[in-house]
Amino acid sequence: MKKKIMVANRGEIALRIIRAIQELGHISVAIYETPDNEAQHIRTADEALWLGDGPRCDYLNIDKVIAAARKAGVDAIHPGYGFLAENPDFAKACEDNGIIFIGPPSEVIQALGDKVTARRIMQEAGIPLVPGTPSLAAGEEGVRQAVEFCKQHGYPVMLKATAGGGGRGIRRIDDEKQLRAEIPVARAEARAAFNNDAVFLEKLVLTPKHIEVQIMADKDGNTVHLGSRDCSIQRRNQKLVEIAPSLIKDQALVDKICETAVKAAKASNYFNAGTVEFLVDKDLNYYFMEINTRVQVEHTVTEMVTGIDIVRTQIKLALGKPLAFCQEDIQVRGYAIEVRINAEDPQNNFMPEGGKTVSVYRSPGGYGVRLDGFVYQGYTIPEVYDSLLVKLTVHGFSWNETVDRLRRCLNNFVITGPKTTIPFYLRVIDDPDFKKGEFNTSFLDTHPHLLDYEDEETEGNKLARLIAEIHYRKQNPYAV
Amino acid sequence: MERIVHGMSVNETLANLRQATGYYVTNTARDLSQSDYKNRILLHTDLLAAKPREAAGFFSLEITGGASIHVDILRKQVDPFLKLELLRERMPKTLFQTLCRGINLFGYRPYPQNVIRLVVREFAKYVDVWRVFDFLNHVPNMVAVFEEVQKSGKILEPAVCFSTGPEHTNEFYVKKVGEILAVTGEQIILCVKNHGGLGTPKRIGDLVDAIKQKYPEIVIHYHGHNTDGNDVGRIVAAVQAGAKIVDASDHAFSGYYGPPSILTVVNTLSEYGHQAVGLDEAAVVETSEVLRGERQHYEFFESQFKGNDPTVQIHKLPGGAAGSSFEQASKGGFLDKMPAILHQELPKVQKELGNFWSVTPGSQILWTTAVSNVQGGDRYGNPSGDLKNLLLGKYGPFPFYQPEEWIYEKVFGADWREIIEKEGGMEAIEDMDIDHERRELAKKIGAEPTDQQLVSYLQHPNDAVAFFKFEEKFGKSYVLPPSVLFRRGAFRLGEVIKFRDHAGKEHVIEIGPQQTDEDGTTHVYLNVDHHQRVFEFEPEATAGNGGGAAAAPKLSKQEIEDLAKAGDLRAPFGANVCEISVAVGQEVKVGDRLVILEAMKMQTPITSPMDGKVQQITAKVGAAVRPGDELVKVTPAD
Repeated sequence: MKKKIMVANRGEIALRIIRAIQELGHISVAIYETPDNEAQHIRTADEALWLGDGPRCDYLNIDKVIAAARKAGVDAIHPGYGFLAENPDFAKACEDNGIIFIGPPSEVIQALGDKVTARRIMQEAGIPLVPGTPSLAAGEEGVRQAVEFCKQHGYPVMLKATAGGGGRGIRRIDDEKQLRAEIPVARAEARAAFNNDAVFLEKLVLTPKHIEVQIMADKDGNTVHLGSRDCSIQRRNQKLVEIAPSLIKDQALVDKICETAVKAAKASNYFNAGTVEFLVDKDLNYYFMEINTRVQVEHTVTEMVTGIDIVRTQIKLALGKPLAFCQEDIQVRGYAIEVRINAEDPQNNFMPEGGKTVSVYRSPGGYGVRLDGFVYQGYTIPEVYDSLLVKLTVHGFSWNETVDRLRRCLNNFVITGPKTTIPFYLRVIDDPDFKKGEFNTSFLDTHPHLLDYEDEETEGNKLARLIAEIHYRKQNPYAV
Repeated sequence: MERIVHGMSVNETLANLRQATGYYVTNTARDLSQSDYKNRILLHTDLLAAKPREAAGFFSLEITGGASIHVDILRKQVDPFLKLELLRERMPKTLFQTLCRGINLFGYRPYPQNVIRLVVREFAKYVDVWRVFDFLNHVPNMVAVFEEVQKSGKILEPAVCFSTGPEHTNEFYVKKVGEILAVTGEQIILCVKNHGGLGTPKRIGDLVDAIKQKYPEIVIHYHGHNTDGNDVGRIVAAVQAGAKIVDASDHAFSGYYGPPSILTVVNTLSEYGHQAVGLDEAAVVETSEVLRGERQHYEFFESQFKGNDPTVQIHKLPGGAAGSSFEQASKGGFLDKMPAILHQELPKVQKELGNFWSVTPGSQILWTTAVSNVQGGDRYGNPSGDLKNLLLGKYGPFPFYQPEEWIYEKVFGADWREIIEKEGGMEAIEDMDIDHERRELAKKIGAEPTDQQLVSYLQHPNDAVAFFKFEEKFGKSYVLPPSVLFRRGAFRLGEVIKFRDHAGKEHVIEIGPQQTDEDGTTHVYLNVDHHQRVFEFEPEATAGNGGGAAAAPKLSKQEIEDLAKAGDLRAPFGANVCEISVAVGQEVKVGDRLVILEAMKMQTPITSPMDGKVQQITAKVGAAVRPGDELVKVTPAD
């Protein structure tokens, strides 16, 4: 039967979800704030509702989103990632209003979203954990607890928002002075971002690989994993390049990590799609980090290597269908790499290029190439949202083939107007360590020269620039 | 009779010239470009003409030197060495000729000896015939160039500059030739350099005859300009008196101030029984057929006053100086004073300053002084630095007589005698530390320079660096035709420009639409090799050499940090102010939070660099700040 499904999100993920809804033959409903009134997701969805002027407040406003859902008469809501995706109150509000929330139940989000509770669940299930504190007490007492923990385990440590996720609300602390200065700031930021100012500390595992496992579970508790991903190449905890499967050569270890992920999901009564994140240190010890209770930005790489449409599966599971495959059915074939092409200037501290208009947009195509974007030629990037323009995902039979394909696609990708991360990725993928698969979360810090590139211009383009200048100034300013 | 070709030795060349029963022609493409087109004829055009010019069988093609080397890099963005290399590829036989201003090289002021020698050595790799002159006919000023040319095994062509007036006798010039020969020896060509096209055919015939009487073996190359319309007459007289080489130019481009048309000269002399050796008239015609279509693109650079100027015999301005004097007058708004300047003041100044030769850089000194005398009212009351140097004798001694004392007094003041005593006379210019200059250049361009780049830099430091940067940004633009580079007005929508780049790759560029934002930024869309490209132009930016006020410079990261240390806290990146944690007058300690900025969802505290007091708060909660914007000022505690 045709269902009406709302996408409570924007940007590329809104489009991604709308596509899955439409492929399933359901009706898609988009919502938007004013700065997004020229966005693609509104045009592509079957219906669209305006929430308010925003920015970034209406997408986060549970009452407004629920009211819009009721007005449109939707059966289900897919939250995407970010915004309300991991907000248990939102899941709860859906449940209370008889709307299907496409994701785990609110109490699971609540439990896993609270990092301290999550750690307790995992500890009880025998999952390896990085040393850490519970949520710090309020005020001076919390600071005292923090100082005490650091004395015992040593610096550096990570200061994290208990309700945070996706790399947000995390800061590295190297000494006590910094610790004291940052706790109040982290609390304020957490309050603003997650409406919860609880923070906690965790021992920092130096130069780990970030390995994560995609899991899927149906209502009967059948839980499978879709293999591993390596998301080690990050900047300030924001992932830039994501790979499936992990390049760790010890397959037994990777299998063990994947099995642990399933165990962790079961221990938390997990339902629907999720991601179990691990840190793997240089001695190949692995530690549970967290479970993200939503679809990830980088879900595309898993889809490419397994052939399973994760978002479609999410919707079907939420509508009560059982998993249509078991663990044995899932095969990982070849490699996939996703790069997040952001409107940022890598050479200026990855400063966002919001407010600029995409004057030329020419995307690559061909075998093994997937694009998840939402911008178009003439689109002005709103300054108030994140800077992701398009995710480029390539799939190949071997690692080398995949890297070659990515290089070809990046070379053929033309985006002018804003500066983008494309030239930076071209440098990354030609780095010998990257090619060998030898990288961890310190990759950018240990390879600063990757930012030292020049915009290379062909002779034809250089002369075209001169012709453009003559045209614009109505005479050659260099020949006067 | 034999055509003279590139690669012949100096002795072989001179033997051919001496034995020739006819005369030879030099195609003065460079002088034509300088005299009638402000030196703008592009390499692109010379390359078009290369094949028929090569076939034409000239004694030489004068294609470099004079002001052209400076204009090559300053206005035409072509490497003067690359130009010669590319022409040589297409013209393997033709001798290439240059015009060198002796100690002033290709510029306007004397250069150090070691620079002169290095520059000549580098150019001698490409240039076969070296015409060398000095505007005071002061032979010592030319010696360094003479020596280097002869050492390089190239043909040396010293010039005597010619002018008119009671002092300009045959005896004077014959004696000058003797001075030159004493330095160079017999194996040279002597140029009679009539840059103004002065005198009558009879006067030139007499002079050439007088030189030949004294030095029968000497090979004379007559160079003249057609400003008064009578250079063909002077050329005929010169050849009849025994000149072996004459200067003329392609008729498709001949104008009013340059040398006359080759075919006119050749046909006229033919009637007098003198044949041009090795010259293929059909190829001369073909050259002009090829060039004719290009002339329209140079129209803007032609003199705004058309027609010959017989009054050159009064004002004596050389070649292109006549044309550009009117341009200056027009730009300077004193066009109405031109008759007074050209026909009264300039001849008067010439006489007062010693009746030397009105050619670079002397012609510029005379012109500037005459203009200043008329414009300022107070004659010699506002002397240029170059006039002072002339009077001090920095360029060399006056050839005939010293200017009168009142001029010195006017220029230098009451104690002029002391000044002349102390500062007067030529002084040896100290050698330049060339290795140091090479390192400086390397720093400026961020790469080890080639010897050729160094040579351009030593002559014109700023313009050479600007040129190297231009090439880095825009590539080698000589491949573009004058219809593009000298375009007036925008291109048509849909207009297609095709060209082959320096490496040989074909490109096609189609002009697309253009749009301007509300903030004034213009986007120019071009289809470059079938890929759409957009080029942005900020309204306040000014490009090229026109200059203009640039936008206020942004603070660098380092500057922002330095200001912060001093208590002037600026936004280190673009962000929103999400909290102001202090109030004006509040006491703060090192590390206390002053402001919190938020960018891309990350909050960053700005903390106090010192113990002190909050003096000023510029930031406002919720406001967007750009890098370098003021946030808070803190003054240190005492």
